[in-house]
Amino acid sequence: MTTVIPFGPQHPVLPEPVSLKLEIDNDVVVGVLPSLGYVHRGLEKFIDTKDYNQTTYICERICGICSALHGITYTRAVEKLFDVEIPERAQYIRVIVGELNRVHSHLLWLGLFADGFGFESLFYECWKYREAVLDVLERITGNRVIHSISRVGGVSRDLTKEQIDMTLKMLDAVESQVKDIEKVFVNNYTVKQRLVGLATMSKQLAYEAGTAGPTLRGSGNAVDVRETADWDIYKDLGFKPVVEKDGDCYARTKVRITELYESIKLIRNAISKLPNGEVAIPIKGFPTGEAIMRTEQPRGEVVYYVKGNGTKNLERLKIRTPTFANIPSLLLMLPGVKLADVPIVVLTIDPCISCTER
Amino acid sequence: MLDNTIETTEIKSSGELLKTVEGLKSDGYRYSTMICLKANEGHDLIYIFEKDNKLKNLRYFVKPGEKPKSVSGIYLCALLIENEYQDLFGLTFEGLAIDYKGHLYLTPNSPKAPLA
Repeated sequence: MTTVIPFGPQHPVLPEPVSLKLEIDNDVVVGVLPSLGYVHRGLEKFIDTKDYNQTTYICERICGICSALHGITYTRAVEKLFDVEIPERAQYIRVIVGELNRVHSHLLWLGLFADGFGFESLFYECWKYREAVLDVLERITGNRVIHSISRVGGVSRDLTKEQIDMTLKMLDAVESQVKDIEKVFVNNYTVKQRLVGLATMSKQLAYEAGTAGPTLRGSGNAVDVRETADWDIYKDLGFKPVVEKDGDCYARTKVRITELYESIKLIRNAISKLPNGEVAIPIKGFPTGEAIMRTEQPRGEVVYYVKGNGTKNLERLKIRTPTFANIPSLLLMLPGVKLADVPIVVLTIDPCISCTER
Repeated sequence: MLDNTIETTEIKSSGELLKTVEGLKSDGYRYSTMICLKANEGHDLIYIFEKDNKLKNLRYFVKPGEKPKSVSGIYLCALLIENEYQDLFGLTFEGLAIDYKGHLYLTPNSPKAPLA
């Protein structure tokens, strides 16, 4: 006989509200029904009242964790409508801030994840290290949470020598700290007992389920938007997608840890190759046509669709966030999992509900 | 006109849509998302698929009053976006794997089809 148990919308491991109705048989999940709608803000409708420049601010506020990458994706989509190429220095600054965004997001997730399986000291360590990244982002952008760096036509602020030195110093420290926490996440007996072999998705299943980001790459799929033609700059920085083959919670964790090193490498390379010059160009007129822009956010691929009609307002803005792509995979991952492991499995998709519902 | 580097196919009927989507799945395409636009009293649906980091789109015009077929039977992950458009545009998808009946985000007291 099965019992239905509600998981969420308020739950100790969930930073944001989402509800799963779990059908349980003998302590094992046999069915899942996700429910959304707790933080839907109607932002795609809200832009009707904002011009295309003001919409940048709306997009930056979709999420408090990957704010910079939302802004970058939106502005790049609108730049496609204008068919303009922004200055190279601005492109590099976007990469630096975007990758810093990924480092702090992954450290945030690792902390939440550690807390989720009851390792509180590890949670404190991850969040302590993350603070240094936020300090640098605050120094560079002037803001701690909503970084607000990208503008249509470039970036809002240049990088100074002092900010670059501060960033490099922070990266050295964080890289060494990540090595410390990596030992625990990857080698600790208890952590492995909780994660290895849990909620495994095969390569094909993860691909066909439309998953994105570390959830997709943790199952052996080398899919990363930073390899696409829209992001040629990453080729110059020596980017390689991080892939793990096992498809379980342990593999998804290892992807995020290794991506921290990859992002640190990318930031260092971007700083070493940072060209001189302007950081923005003036944009004249109003956008027309349609464009799709994709970016690899910390949780995976975000898709922006913009349609302009020659007025100051966009006719349509559509945003598909990575958690939106990853939630259906819970329908495939959770059946067969013990009730006690459900929080761990849900956390491994790094759910961001504010992004998902917009 | 969308970015001309993205291959776009116009779909004429819901039968053709399902057949084409099945073909894309067997060709190894990943379902990315779907865009819904108001167009000529009806709606334009742009289905976005990805393979080898390249996008492929299908564009299907939904006539006024038409109930488009759900592709969630082919790609389960399509169920969320199709439910979203039931909420926001007032569309009705036939054959949805899980049908929230217009209440994925919205409550009975919310504005009806706010993007329609």
